Parts: sequence; structure tokens; C-alpha cells
Amino acid sequence: MRSTLLAYVLALAALLALTALAFTVGRYPVPIGQLIDLLIGKSQALPPTARTVLFEIRGPRVLSALLVGAALAAAGTAYQGMFRNPLVSPDILGVSTGAALGAVGAIFLSLGVFATQLFAFGGGLAAVALVYWIGSRMRGHEPMLALVLTGVVIGTLLGSAIALLKYLADPYNQLPAITFWLLGSLAAIAPQDLAVAAPLALAGLAPMLLLRWRVNLLSLPDDEARALGVDTRRLRSVVVAAATLMTAAAVAVSGIIGWVGLLIPHAARLVVGPHFGRLLPLSMLIGAAFLLAVDTLCRTIAPIEVPPGVLTALIGTPFFLWLFALSRRGW
Amino acid sequence: MLEVDSLAFGFAGRVVGQGIGFTLAAGEVMCVLGPNGGGKTTLFRTLLGLLPPLGGTVRVQGAPLEALTRTEIARRVGYVPQAHVGTFAFTVREMVLMGRTAHLGAFASPAARDREVAERAIASLGIEHLAHRPFTEISGGERQLALVARALAQDPVLLVMDEPTASLDFGNQLRVLDRIGELARRGIAVLFSTHDPDHAFLCAQRALLLAEGRALEVGAPREVIRPETLRRMYGVAVRIVDAGNGQHACLPEPAPR
Amino acid sequence: MRPLSGLLVCAALLASSARAATAVVDATGREIRLAAPAQRVYAAGPPASLLVYAIDPHKLLGWTRALRPDEAAFLPPDAARLPELGRLTGRGNSANVETVLRARPQLIVDVGSTSPYFASLAERVEAQTGIPYALFDGRIEATPATLRALGRLMGEQARAERLATWYEAELADARRRVALVPRDARPRVYYGRGIAGLQTGGGGSINVEVLDFLGAVNVAEEARAGLVAVPIEQILLWNPEVILTTDPDFWRAARQDPRWRAVRAVETQRVYLSPHLPFGWFDFPPGANRLLGVWWAGKLLYPRAFDFDLRAKVAEFYQLFYHREPTPAQLDALLGEPGVLPR
Repeated sequence: MRSTLLAYVLALAALLALTALAFTVGRYPVPIGQLIDLLIGKSQALPPTARTVLFEIRGPRVLSALLVGAALAAAGTAYQGMFRNPLVSPDILGVSTGAALGAVGAIFLSLGVFATQLFAFGGGLAAVALVYWIGSRMRGHEPMLALVLTGVVIGTLLGSAIALLKYLADPYNQLPAITFWLLGSLAAIAPQDLAVAAPLALAGLAPMLLLRWRVNLLSLPDDEARALGVDTRRLRSVVVAAATLMTAAAVAVSGIIGWVGLLIPHAARLVVGPHFGRLLPLSMLIGAAFLLAVDTLCRTIAPIEVPPGVLTALIGTPFFLWLFALSRRGW
Repeated sequence: MLEVDSLAFGFAGRVVGQGIGFTLAAGEVMCVLGPNGGGKTTLFRTLLGLLPPLGGTVRVQGAPLEALTRTEIARRVGYVPQAHVGTFAFTVREMVLMGRTAHLGAFASPAARDREVAERAIASLGIEHLAHRPFTEISGGERQLALVARALAQDPVLLVMDEPTASLDFGNQLRVLDRIGELARRGIAVLFSTHDPDHAFLCAQRALLLAEGRALEVGAPREVIRPETLRRMYGVAVRIVDAGNGQHACLPEPAPR
Repeated sequence: MRPLSGLLVCAALLASSARAATAVVDATGREIRLAAPAQRVYAAGPPASLLVYAIDPHKLLGWTRALRPDEAAFLPPDAARLPELGRLTGRGNSANVETVLRARPQLIVDVGSTSPYFASLAERVEAQTGIPYALFDGRIEATPATLRALGRLMGEQARAERLATWYEAELADARRRVALVPRDARPRVYYGRGIAGLQTGGGGSINVEVLDFLGAVNVAEEARAGLVAVPIEQILLWNPEVILTTDPDFWRAARQDPRWRAVRAVETQRVYLSPHLPFGWFDFPPGANRLLGVWWAGKLLYPRAFDFDLRAKVAEFYQLFYHREPTPAQLDALLGEPGVLPR
């Protein structure tokens, strides 16, 4: 119990510190004096460019990094518990691939930014709905296994559709846009993106928080969970829907950012154990902090943007191996 | 507590067994014996409501299973599966607390009262010293006891235990059988399956011999466990030895010289 | 400029010989031998299609991508009837080699990068199909030499010479005008790509060749790479005086999005949208069409030095290269589209 509290305090402190730091750094220099002005409420005193940078550019970007990081971590935590497998990522049922196909399709058809996000969101939901529908028709198989296999198969199918679109795309114009979207980035986040994505992500988070006790039972074999009084099919479908909603909302605004949903729940679990009620909030805190740190690096270390997926893998993997080496008990 | 009447069980399109009928009263222990593939697990799953019966009825406290919701069933019937390692390192206390789920609302978490019930269940099995340990790090026997505690936390009237002594060492086997006896004395009906006929002698008042999906015999262990029935089920020759003061055991028939 | 001068020498030598067979050395140094000037030419990519079509539209076997109606309106009617054959260059092949072969080309032409990678691709295709594959340099300055070489290969030396001479003169004129502009009067330009305008051409990339030709300052010069994504804050830091783009969505958004408000180019309303019919003027396809971009961007960046009648020049280019002089209404549409020219 004590170590759990400590973990939470540390994670929250790190998050707040990182958020403050993220506001102070960026390619466009904003002097500390102006930042302090902002904090103490004298924002009118700031020069207009500084205000633009802080309110329109850094502000939404920092907030969306927190949102996307938390959403991906939450979805990953739910899935890892549900599939009883600590190596599962939120994309196991194909939400990222479906979203990618939606976005690539929108780019291919030269629709605008909002349409691309909309298609990405819809594509993610549709892919999981398809996987879930097919997977649950497979009677006589262990339900989780059926879902996973269906997810893999459909994911591959959607991936080949993406490959086809990339192939047919105009190499001068559409293909670079597609490539950039697939690499993932928070660079183009505008306040209106956040205004849409945040409520959607919260809508997905709410059921997960409410059902946090019952979700623990999904990590038991199906028979046991049912014998303990849980309607596993219904609970699974709610968890899948909630996690998918969160992930689709995140991917729609940020593109594909890998590793967060896989790594962060792991790291959090090594600290506080698998109990979902304790694990979920910590996972989200760490996920938000991690992605914020990564994204801050992405937009400051060079004049050009570094794709966040590259950094999440580079930083996350050794960090995870270190954590794993330190821990002694099971997952 | 449990009334089974002309039960046919199996999967859609495949009948695994039929013609099963028996009753189990509070405080009674029944042992289900049978060879591998005889349908024990499928029968148990049907009795737990995890599989719909293909024919006949199963009643718990007078109510037919089909009419009960999952939650209602879980409040009456506790399931103790074979001890498994599990993927995630929940503590024993957390595992036992999961047994309270049927008594919680959909969005609720365990309250103080639930924690008390769980603690009592843990204490009644003598595993308080394990309560804070991760489930994945304790021994097989300890895990089995933890799973029994979890089932007890459900406050059941009937316990269904699927081979509770499988893969336990000799000492742990006896300890588990001992606990079964205690639970019965507290008024809980217990149904357990085993491969070892001696277990029936040790703690059961009733025995059901299940082979090829049919009940060969149902009755007191001393009556139904006989060399003929054992030969029919297992294909081996044994004799029943009376060790005095009411205890019996099976021993293989010595080979002819 | 070594491949260019080598090409000129070889072309001159060969022109003086009396052989009936045609042999030209392409920009990678490979000799292209034809029994007779090619009458059926497959252009492997859009820059090549453009030049072949300009020299002799009847010898072009097809486009790499079917023409859209708005594009076809700027070309003669039979242009739209040419089949779509796909592209056979390194960047995204979509041509089925058998389809290409069925069209029975006598020569395959590609105009673009002449790096060893693309040169080896050209050799492979030639070995595979048995059809001579000529690869030429796609840079703006290399256009006259490419035209002349193609003219030899297609047996249309006179026509090619006329186009090449005209193009050379125009390039020289443009250079002269650029030289009139003092160094410190050359504006800082940001070329924004993608619907959010957050991708740009790094220093020296093919995407900003027009800017480099005009001696303008590419704010993204320090990123020595092809197409890169940049954070908005970086653009604010660079604070370009002019923003050029090829994307109408970005053009609209840049002028309204509060995040771009602080950029000098947006403040002074110097955000411009490049015309794109029938082919882009500024960036893609990266071919001879970019002379139009040179004029257009030149006029925007150095209005006093580039004080010619853009309409007349555009009409002349279209007539020469696209074989169809645009109607006044079409010119109005091209140059009058919002964002193309300052109001």
C-alpha cells in the first residue's frame, strides 16, 4: 500500500514537472519572464507572438500529448488484462490499422484535415467492430484466442489495403502525405482537434473506471470468471468498445504512435501490480508523462520534426528492459 | 441443496452423458469418480450453469439453473477449479476478494464488509500467512487452498470442486480433503471429482461413479465402490481393504504368481 | 555540369557524322543506339511525358496517369485520348511491363534523377525488355540539353532545337533579372506542403529547385534533406516573408489559422498558391514545366525585376510545350484563382 502511494505521488510530480518544462521549451524562444507573466495572470502583457506560441501552439500540443499518452496507456492496460497477456498492445484488434486505412483513404481522395481525422476515427471503430463480430461468431474456440487470431488476420488484410493505396497514390503529392501520417505526429494539433478528441477519449475512459473492479476478473480463465458471477461476453465487449474509443480518438489526431500502449502498462504493473483499480490511473499518469517527454524532444532537438514513434521505441525499449531486469516477481 | 433430475449434458450436436440423477443435501459431501474422458468436467460445467443442459433439470435450492442469472448462481454455488499458475501476480487476498463479485453491484468495488468476509474465508483455511503473497509465487497446494477460500468468499451453499487434489503432494492432498470435511460440517454441500477412490472413502458420504457419460451407481462409497465397479470403470483389478474404525482403502489385486 | 557538357560534345560529334543509325549518350553516360529515330516513345514519368509531348505529341504512346478533364482542357483534344500506361521510374512503379511492351515502344525515356540507383534501374529495364532506356537529368537548367538529345533520338532535331533555344533564352533572361536584385532584397521564403503546410523541402531538395534558381532564401535551408516535417514553432522562428504552397486547403487555412497569424508572410498577406493546370508550375511534376514556376515566383518575389507580362509569357509556353494556346478565359482562370497573384 505504501509503495503504491509513493508511486502515485512520484508519477504525479513527474507529470506536473514535465508539463511545466514542456511549456518552457520549444524552437521559438519564450523568455522565462514572459512565462511567469502568464502564470500570474498577466497574459495581456505578453507580446502577441508569444501568446500565439503558448496558447495556440504549445498549449494544445502539450495537452494532446498528455491525452494521447494517457489514452493509449489506458487501452493497453485494459487489453493486457483482458487478454491475460502482458505483451498485448492496443492495436491487437486492429484499431490502429483500421484508423490508418481510413486516414490513408482520405488522403488518397484528397479530402481535408478534418475528413482525414474523421475517417481515421471511423476506420478504427469499424475495424474493431468487424474483428469483434467475426471473432465472436467462432464458437467452440476459447473466446480470447478467437479474437486475437481474427484481429491478426483482419489487421493484415487492412494493412495490405493500405499498401495498395500507397502504391496507387501520386508519388509526388499524396504519397509523402500518407507517409507522414503513418509516422505519427502531434505537430498539426489545433485546439479544435483537442475539443473533439478529449470528450471521446473520456467517453471511453468512463466505463473503464466504473468497471475497474470487474475488469480484474477478465484475467481469470473464462469459466472461472463466469462462475464468479461475471457476464464475460458483455464485460469484454464493453471493455473492447471503451478501449477502442479511446485509441481511435487518440490515433485520429496523432497518427500511429507505437509502443506506448505496450510498454507503459507493463512498467506500471511492475510497480503496483496487476490490480486494475490501482493500475489504470498510474498507467495513465506514466503514459501521459512519457509521451509528453517524447513529444517535447521531438519538437525541440532539431529544426525538423522527429517522428514520435521512433523515439518511443528508442527510449522505451532500454527503459523497459531495465525495469524488467530489476523486478523479481511475475507480471 | 442440489437436485439433478434426468440430466443430459454435452454440447450442441454432441451428447456427452445422460440419465444423471441425484440429490445433495446441506452438509453432504459427494465424490464423483470416473475415468478420463468420462464426462466429469462437462458434467460439472453443466451443474455450474456454464453449459446449458441438453435435457432434464438442475435445481439449486429449489430454483432451476436456467431461471437464475449468473450473479444469482454465483451467490449460491462456488466453483473451485484446479489450481493454475495464472498470468498476473494478484495477491492471495486480491484473489479471494474476487469471490465477492457476485455480491457487488456492477460498478462497485469491495467494501469493508466484503473484505471481512474474505479475511474470514482466508482464516478458515489457515492461510493468513499467505494473504499478502503473490498468487503466482506460492506452491500448488497453497494455491488450491486460496481458490477454495475464494469460493468460500462467495458465501455459497454448494461448492463444486474440480479435481481439487490433482497435482498436489501427498500431504497437501490430505489437508485439502480434511478441509472438505470441515466445510461440510459447517453446512455447505460439497461436490468434488477425483481419480482416486480412496478420497471418496476419506471424506465423502455419497459417491457417483461416472463412466461414458452415464452414472454407473450412486450411493454411499462403501456400497458403490466395489471391485466390480472399479474394474468396469478403470479396467483394473482391485480389492477393498477394511483398515478398522470405519476406514477403507483400495489396493491393487496381487498379480497371480 | 559535366554530364551536360559531355552530352553537348557527343551530340555535336554525332550530328556531324553521316550514319543513318542514331546514337546518343544519355545523362548517365550510357550510349543509346537506335536503328532509326524513334517514332514510338514510352515516357516513364511525367517530366519525360512533358518533353516528349512537347517535341512531337504524335510520338508519345501514352501518359503515366490518365488526364483529368480539367487538365485535358489545356491540351489539344487528342491528348486526352492517349492511354494511361503507368510509370516505370524508381519512385512508385505502376506500369505493367507487359502493358508497356504491348504498346511496342522503340524508346523508353525518363527524365529525373540520374543517380547511380536510377541509372542501374534503367539498365535493368533495358536488359529486361530489350528496349533502349534513356535517362536524362530533370533539373531545370538541364532542360535544353535534354530537349536536344531527345530531338536527336526522335528525329525531330529542328523542332527540339527551337524549343531548346527558346528555353535557354528564357532561362538566361530569368537569371539576368535575378542578378538585378541585390542580395539583401531577396526575401525569405517558406514552401509549405501538405494540407497543414507543415512539410517543406529542405535545403537543396528537388522540391525547392525553383527557389534555388531564383536565389531566394529557403528558410528550411538548414535541413539538408528531401521532404521534411517541421514544427510550427520553427516556422514562427524562421518567420518567412513569403509563403508559397501548392495546396489550396493550406492556403486557405494559413490565412485564418490563429497559429499562423504571427508569421510575417501572413501578416503582410504574402501567402500564394501555385497554379497547377495542366501540370504544376512550382514543384511537381519536377520537369520543364517549372519554368512557369520560375516566372510566377519571380514575379511574386522580385516584382520590379520580373516586370514582364506574365499572361503573354504563359500563353507562349503553353503554345510551345502543350501545343494549345489558352483562351483568355482560361488564362483568367489560371491567374485569377485566389492566391495565385497579389490582389
